[in-house]
Amino acid sequence: MTSQLKLTRRGFLAGTAAVGALSLAGPSFAASKTLNILSHRVHQTSLGEGDADAMKDWKAANDAELNWTTFDSNPLMDRLFREASLSSTDFSVGYMVDNRPTSEIAKLFEPLGPWLEKDGIEEFDDIAPGLVQGMTVDGNLIGIPVRTATQALFYNEARLEEVGISAPPTTIEELVEQARKVTESGKATGMILASDLAVFPVMFARAYGGDFINKDFELLPNKEAMEKGLTTLADMFKDGSLPKSYATTKNDDQVTWMQQGRAAFTVLPFARAAQLNNAEQSKYPGKIKAIGFPGSKDSTVPMASVVEAWAMVIPANAKDKELAWSFIKEVSSKKNTLVMALNGNGPARVSTFGEAELTAKNPLAAVEAEVLAQARGAFPPFPEAARAQALFLEEVQLAVLGRKTPAEAVAAIESRVAPLLPS
Amino acid sequence: MRNKRLLNLLKTIAVLAIVVWSLFPIFFIVVSSFKAGHDIFAVPTKWFFEPTVQHYQKLVSAWPVFFSSLWNSTVITAGATALAVIASTTAGYVYSRYNSRLLNASIVYLIGVRLIPPIVVTLPLFPIVNWLGINDTHFVLIVLYATFFVSLGTVLMRTFIDQIPRELDEAAAIDGASRMTILRKVIVPLATPGIIAVAVFVIVFAWNEFLFAFIFTSTNAKTAPLVVSEMIGSIDGVDWGVLFAASTVQLLPVLLFVVFMNRYLVAGLTAGATKG
Repeated sequence: MTSQLKLTRRGFLAGTAAVGALSLAGPSFAASKTLNILSHRVHQTSLGEGDADAMKDWKAANDAELNWTTFDSNPLMDRLFREASLSSTDFSVGYMVDNRPTSEIAKLFEPLGPWLEKDGIEEFDDIAPGLVQGMTVDGNLIGIPVRTATQALFYNEARLEEVGISAPPTTIEELVEQARKVTESGKATGMILASDLAVFPVMFARAYGGDFINKDFELLPNKEAMEKGLTTLADMFKDGSLPKSYATTKNDDQVTWMQQGRAAFTVLPFARAAQLNNAEQSKYPGKIKAIGFPGSKDSTVPMASVVEAWAMVIPANAKDKELAWSFIKEVSSKKNTLVMALNGNGPARVSTFGEAELTAKNPLAAVEAEVLAQARGAFPPFPEAARAQALFLEEVQLAVLGRKTPAEAVAAIESRVAPLLPS
Repeated sequence: MRNKRLLNLLKTIAVLAIVVWSLFPIFFIVVSSFKAGHDIFAVPTKWFFEPTVQHYQKLVSAWPVFFSSLWNSTVITAGATALAVIASTTAGYVYSRYNSRLLNASIVYLIGVRLIPPIVVTLPLFPIVNWLGINDTHFVLIVLYATFFVSLGTVLMRTFIDQIPRELDEAAAIDGASRMTILRKVIVPLATPGIIAVAVFVIVFAWNEFLFAFIFTSTNAKTAPLVVSEMIGSIDGVDWGVLFAASTVQLLPVLLFVVFMNRYLVAGLTAGATKG
């Protein structure tokens, strides 16, 4: 029980006191007001920083500082709802994704209709009506849409050319065929899709005119189409057009596989084009292109891609709602929607897609606008949505891996998910 | 003789397998942080490459919050360690030198508390912490981390102090030393390896902890693991090079500390093993 290391009382107490003093040190703010915002980092960076800060003039006019607290999507939603359920919160603005506002959750947030009437947002009708509808719960508008992420079909042009394909697919049948051709060449896997997201099987079902749960909470409105979608995925897995690791594939794998040229096709939001073609990360910069996900040649229903939207909300228990609304108004302006779009944000305003500055910088803007016009959420929000999605994915995976027939999987989805839907 | 050699060979293979299993992820992260972005996940893996510090430069320019969060982690870890060590040492001394039914029962309670999953206490604490107005402060995490480790630390310190002969306490008492003086001047110097062992446990825990930090901090006391988790963004994709650079920077101090303090850690783990 001897030691070379001496721990003296004086040293120990001095160290403790120093740590205590340090812990009391806190930040100081020059402006007289601080607006605390709860968001994803992407919402903050899209507004620009330093000299390019789109909110510079607003801050000066309101003598206010913006204090951003950022988290990734799911932790952000968790924190936002917890803050909103307290008796009061320091966060006056939050960013909410459109698949979350159920009736219960909407009650935690300020109805924005009266604010809009009192102090309107510039050309509010320009904000895509579908997105506004998505943030309207029980007749109350609770969020102002600010960001969209519309799913696109990405393809590696170089990989397709290697196997003699000169143009991307225009139907899902062509997509399956082209993916098979790439796979058979042995140069890459046809397609990479994450197995833990409902977006992809929903897209395949929609390609045949079906859906998982529509906006009227109708489960499997076209069972035959869902069966066809699952059959297509299962066939792609069987012939190797989806990787053997399908069951463990995640969203990030889609990006790295495409960047490395290991897969020829994937489905990701349009905004990912920059990352997929980033010369620092990708082996195929400029070669990974995007189009709308194609529907079936036999389907009479237009293909509706999946879109996810974010909106700005004010917690009902927020301390400074005036300042919060002023911030929301400023961020939603036409000018700032364009600034954010130029910084990679999917615009919520229809007119922004047509801005010359944006189309010059982002050649996909016109395609995205076209796809967005038909797009809708993967499924509407409801209290048991997370469980419904988990059950849906479980059955989809069993079908894709060949453990169940698509018909059996569809029947199981129907019987297992139906009790979870709102009555 | 042959059997012994075979056994040694098998042991060596087993140890090597465990070492590779444990160290490969760390090795992969550190090495990848010096690779060009498109080489990180190249297939086949690129073992030979021209090292670059571009990810570290980007970490500095794009994620300044990471470095302020490292400072927060340092302050919180140091504070929690100091608090846990003081509480564990004094409590361990009491448990070692005093004996009563209540004390014996309370040690069972201490161990029982340690068995409760942290999430069970975390969520109900959220409104209380808000009500107290200590949300997003270093103080709240210092107290929580220390509290979480006081039970284990106390048991550990009792085991160490048990090994210090009581005659030393008695000799000091005869010389007129009070209980506090005995603790400070006799027990603490002799129990230093135990104190270091407790400190190592708290430091490793506090430096890497995510759940409490996620629930109870926002901006002012945000710790490094939270910022690293933000880099694994689900919306705008992961910049793996920057993520690995941040992980390397975050890993380095605690890795060096644990390597440096390794012998105390082993002492802590084996404390009391030969007692009796």
